Parts: sequence; structure tokens; C-alpha cells
Amino acid sequence: MKKELGTFLLLVVLCIAVSVLNPRFLAPANLQNMARLIGAYGIFSIGLGMVIITGGIDLSVGSVFALLGVLLSIMLTEWGLPSLLAVLAVIGVATALGAFHGLLITKARIQPFIVTLCGLLFYRGLARFIANDETKGFGSAEGFETLHNLATGSLFGIPTPFVLLVIISVVMWVVLHRSVYGRYLFAVGRNETAARYSGINSKKVVASAYIILGILAGIAGIVFAFYTNSISPSSHGNFFELYGIAAAVLGGCSLRGGEGSILGILIGTALLQVLQNLVNLLGIPSSLNFAVMGAVILVGVIADQLLQRRSARVG
Amino acid sequence: MRLNRFVALACVGLLLTVACAKNGGTKKLAFVTNNAADFWTIARKGCEKADAELADIAVEFRIPADGTAAEQKRIVDDLLAKGIDGIAISPVDPDNQTQMINDIARQTLVFTQDSDALNSNRTCYIGTDNVAAGRQAAALIKEALPQGGKIMIFVGKLDARNAQERLQGIRESLQGSNIQIIDVRTDDTDRVRAKSNVADTLVLYPDVAGLVGLWGYNGPAILNAVRDAGKTGQVKIVCFDEEDETLAGVKDGAIYGTVVQQPYEFGYQSMKMMAAALAGDQSQIPPSKQKFVDTLVIKRAEVDDFIQKINQLRGR
Repeated sequence: MKKELGTFLLLVVLCIAVSVLNPRFLAPANLQNMARLIGAYGIFSIGLGMVIITGGIDLSVGSVFALLGVLLSIMLTEWGLPSLLAVLAVIGVATALGAFHGLLITKARIQPFIVTLCGLLFYRGLARFIANDETKGFGSAEGFETLHNLATGSLFGIPTPFVLLVIISVVMWVVLHRSVYGRYLFAVGRNETAARYSGINSKKVVASAYIILGILAGIAGIVFAFYTNSISPSSHGNFFELYGIAAAVLGGCSLRGGEGSILGILIGTALLQVLQNLVNLLGIPSSLNFAVMGAVILVGVIADQLLQRRSARVG
Repeated sequence: MRLNRFVALACVGLLLTVACAKNGGTKKLAFVTNNAADFWTIARKGCEKADAELADIAVEFRIPADGTAAEQKRIVDDLLAKGIDGIAISPVDPDNQTQMINDIARQTLVFTQDSDALNSNRTCYIGTDNVAAGRQAAALIKEALPQGGKIMIFVGKLDARNAQERLQGIRESLQGSNIQIIDVRTDDTDRVRAKSNVADTLVLYPDVAGLVGLWGYNGPAILNAVRDAGKTGQVKIVCFDEEDETLAGVKDGAIYGTVVQQPYEFGYQSMKMMAAALAGDQSQIPPSKQKFVDTLVIKRAEVDDFIQKINQLRGR
């Protein structure tokens, strides 16, 4: 809990500051907009968190989104597949890609960075090739309105992506923090050799983390595709993996592996989205967007370090 | 035995290569884009048309994947090494690529298209007058908002020249009118962000009367955010280019109008003019060395014809 506390305090302070400076921050429409984005980004950030906890990394997520978006659009609008089938197929492809990464990393012993960097390049190219470099979209969603409304709509006023995130978080919380498998994930991440010697099938555990990420990336990919409603294969999802990695690390995951929590990842995701939102709400020039993000996060992390050192000395 | 088979294969390969290569009189021309987008699919059709019409040229279409100056340089170097006779390029960063364009000009014929490098030794420029396009958009805004009001402008990057020129045209035309520009929001071509920028604007300025998107994808992004906020029709939308969703929006009245370029003409005319110039005919090149292709205004009345035309060009 200690590790997330700093980020959480930063998030609270930011929210209070922004709502004082511009009360519209708390307007229902703004909260809905933010919840929708936190939902979409949070879903795959949790997956990335799992992988990071095992000491791995995945750089291909953004390109996978482009590929999935293009496939989803083709399946729904050109082939006229039933919604459910298309959704399952997209999640299936994403899961297969995750399994493929896991296999290369554990069986072929290639570094996760290299495997997924190649993925980043390969899937982007594949998406562009399949789409023939044309923007793919869903138009007015004729024939799959239900799926479209489900992905972009709300449940009792709460955007569906956020509802999905809550469900996924609860499930993943149990998996990570209350199951034997979760202990294995941490153990493998902290010291793979030690984990192996104590009888854990570390290869299986590592590969499974990439499969989980695949499933979650599949779900998030569908949400993002319907959020933009059109997928330009050359730019859709660019750099999204970095948002996920940043959210996980801000939330207390260590890039060395073995540390992290679901709650932390959620706080990290929310922080990143609030930062994007406040640039617009406070009328800060868009050009400063990334600068504000970087500066606030850095200040927060420094403050956190100082506080922890102090409490360590006191304790 | 194995060697024989290898020799046979090599012979077949050689024959194929010879058969495929066009005869010596054919001029090799290249069209280099600045990134991968639908826009260029249409330009490509124009190039192909010119290629089909003129027997003595062969056109090569090159798309830099990541849209950087570095990649354009690599492509250009490869083309020059192959002995290309003419290049029509859309420089990503004209001011800093002037040197590269001059280097090409020393070795072969070079045109700029889509975006111009004014101070370079290019033979001619073919493309849109973006300031004029901005003025057309401003006229649409005035038409859509006779009572005046506040508008917000959205674009991918403000440091791109076409964004600056379009904005300049809009600002010039709106000066002194009852329409006030609140600000310009950028999204670094991230569509998710493009949409959330609009959503945030609708929250922050409930009285915003008009939304303007300067780049192609901004139109759909605005449209979707306005729809989600349930403000279709209340907020007037004016945008650029011809993404499918933009055109659908114009058709159902959610978008007031869009200003479109004619990339087909960029491809077709640049190839034709280069072929003529290589044959010694300079008469098609204007004295100003700039040939502007008009931008068109598409409103509800024109949209059906335009959709039909554009689908034909895209081969749908």
C-alpha cells in the first residue's frame, strides 16, 4: 500500500486543485468522459502490469490495437460477421499473439524487449497492409448497433468501458493478490531462478502473463476501435504501450519485476487521464500537454521518494 | 544435376527480368508521399491514370511508413541510385529539406507536390493553396453561424505548414466578424486524444457554437464527440478532407460542410507535367512555378455526387 500512497495523494491533490480552479471538472459530463478513457486505458494497463510484475515488458500493444481495429472493422463491415463472433475472433487473435510472445520469450529465450519490439513493427506493418493504407471505420454501425452501443454507451450513467474495468479489476485483484498463481507471478518476477528451484514452472507462469495481457489488449482494442469509430492503421494506438507502462510504474510496479498491485495500476491510469484532462480544462496550451504530464509526474515521484526516505529514517 | 537446375532457374529469372523491364525510351518517374493515408490512395489513382495514358513513362509510387524527413531521404537516395528521371515529392519539413531537394534537382527533374519548398530549386509545385482553403472554411463558418458565436479549432500538429496556413486563412477571414476563436487544440494525430479534446471543449464551453477540424481525421473525431454529448445539430461543424465518416456526417446534416482537396489532380497533373518537361515542353509550367489545384466546398447539396466520384477513384 505504501508504494501506491504517493501516487494516490498526487491524484487527490491534482483533482482538488483542478476542481477549485475550474468547477466544471466535477461536471457529470466531464466525469463520464474521463471514466470512459480511464476504463479503456486501464483495461490494458492491468495486463501490462501483469507482464511487468514477471519482469517482462510489452512494447507491441499500440500496434496490436491498430491490427485488431482493422480486423474488427473488416469483419463487421465487409464480411458482415455477427457481432459476437467478431468480438470473439478479435480477442482470440489478441490472445494468440500474447501466447506467441510468451512462447518466444520462454521457449526460444528471446528477450521480451526484442520480441515485442519486433511485434511493434510487424503488427503495424501488417495492419497497414491489410487495410491497404486506408482508414477503416464502422460508419453508422449498421447491423451491429448493439455491439456499438455496448462499447460506447453507458450502464446506469456509468460508461461501459469503466464498468468493464471494474469487473476486470476485481477478477484480476483476486488472481494477483489472493491466489497461489498470483504468488507465483511475484515469485518469478522477483527471482526466476529461486522460483524455479522451489518447484514453480516459471516458463508457464511467464507465458501465461503474456496471454492475460493478450486477452485484456483484445478487449481494450475493441473499446478503442469503437471510441474513435475509425482506425487509421498508421497512427491508431501509437505509443499507447507507453501510457500502459507509465500507469503501471507510477502505480508501484517495478520494471525489475516482482512488485506491483492492481490498485496501484488503476491509480496510475487515473492520474495520467486526469493530467490530460486538466490541460484542456485549465486552458493550458495543447503544446504544453506532454510537458505538464512529465513535470507533474516527476515532481510527484520526487516528493514520494523524499517522503519514503523520511519515513524510513523515522521508522 | 543440381548445377543444371540452378543454371536453368537463373536463365528463367534473367529472361523474366529482361521481359519485365521496359524499353530504354521509357522515363521512370516517382511520386513520394509524406505518410500513409487515404489521401494518397487517391493521388495514386491519378498517377496510375497518367501512367496508363502516356506510353513513355513508368510511375513508381513510394510511401514513407513513418512520415519522417529521414525516411524520405532514404527513399530519394534509393530512387536516384536507380537512375530515376523525375521525382514529385511532398516534403515533410520543407524548410529543412530544401538542401535535399536541391541535391535532387542537380541530378534529375524534381517537382514538389502537396507541400512546397519555396526556396528550393524545384522546377514546379503542384498542390493546394491552403490559405485560400482556410478562407473557404471561414466562409462556411460564417454561413453556419449567422448569429456569430465562439468556435474552437482542432488540428493534429500546429507546426505543420498546412495547419498554419489554413489557420491563417480562417483567422484573416474571421477578423472583425462576430465569430470569436477560443483557441486551437492539438492532438499529435492520436485519434483518441482528438476526440477527448472535443469532449473536454464541450464540457468546458457549453456555449461553444462551432467546431472546426483542420485535418482529415478531426472531422470524424468532432462528429463522434458531439454525438456522444447529444449536441448534434446544436453545435455547427466545419472540417477538411473527405474521410468516409465526414462525408456521411455532411450527408445527414450533422456536419455543415467540408473543404476538400483534389489529390487525384496532384498525381495526374504532376506526372503529366513532368513527362512533358522531360520531352522538352516547359509550356505547362506557370511562370510563378506554382500550380494551385482548387479546393472544393462540399455541403449537403453536393455530397452525393462527390461520394460517388470519390468511391470511383478509390476503386470501390
